[in-house]
Amino acid sequence: MIQVNAMGDACPIPVVKTMKVLNEIKGAGEVEVLIDNEIAVQNLTKMANQRNCKVRSEKLGEGQYRVIITVEGKIQESDSTESIGEQTCIPDARKNIVVVISSEQMGQGDGELGKILMKGFIYALTQQDSLPSTILFYNSGARLTCEDAPTLEDLKSLEAQGVEILTCGTCLNHYGLTEKLLVGSVTNMYVITEKMTHADLIVKP
Amino acid sequence: MREKKKYRIISFHTTTEAIAMEKKCGKMHIPGRLIPTPREISASCGLAWRMTEEEYMAYEEIINQLELEYDQSVCLMLLRWI
Repeated sequence: MIQVNAMGDACPIPVVKTMKVLNEIKGAGEVEVLIDNEIAVQNLTKMANQRNCKVRSEKLGEGQYRVIITVEGKIQESDSTESIGEQTCIPDARKNIVVVISSEQMGQGDGELGKILMKGFIYALTQQDSLPSTILFYNSGARLTCEDAPTLEDLKSLEAQGVEILTCGTCLNHYGLTEKLLVGSVTNMYVITEKMTHADLIVKP
Repeated sequence: MREKKKYRIISFHTTTEAIAMEKKCGKMHIPGRLIPTPREISASCGLAWRMTEEEYMAYEEIINQLELEYDQSVCLMLLRWI
């Protein structure tokens, strides 16, 4: 596997570096790219998809991500690395989307249905091309990031893709869940308020 | 890790049947999960059962004996996280 180290590189450098390597590959092969931000992950994923390559990504730690691009034989011919670099960098200007989960149920009415809908909503988030930057959980929504929640697997996946998962500490405490948080981190009202006021778009199911 | 994988999607006529599927599969330890029915499938119910094609092959017979009425059973490429 060929490794590309693009840690500390600003957009579009990670994409440009990776494209150079991809252009050099003759036939099948794998390229691992190390980057330090989630936008680079999304840009690389988009670039790989455009070239019909298989792409996987994961968060290794704080400010550490890797993307693995698998080339299966014929690679899609591309334009110059510069122009594609510019194209793929456009999502950098994407909106700062904040998802606000204020309840473990989606909508009002039947409680069982509400929980199923919320589980479905969070799954559907994982399937979106454009992921939110942050998901906030408060009040009974806090249950969804804790032990035994049916949403854990999807939320862990979103976190691995660079989505910030924040749960209200007061709420965890109120529901006796402080020790049971299993995804993301604990936050407070100041951060919750700041995230919401700085958002370009708030999504509240 | 995020990648596309082949999944079996089983859709239902009613939400009640989809929820019954989740309960029966839970009890019988049949792998899979309930997801919102993917856009590619036209179905009368918004919830569908998703399992990998390998899991479906292994449990196909049991699933057919669950006394539930299925709408469609199709293969789709969906994003998954590993």
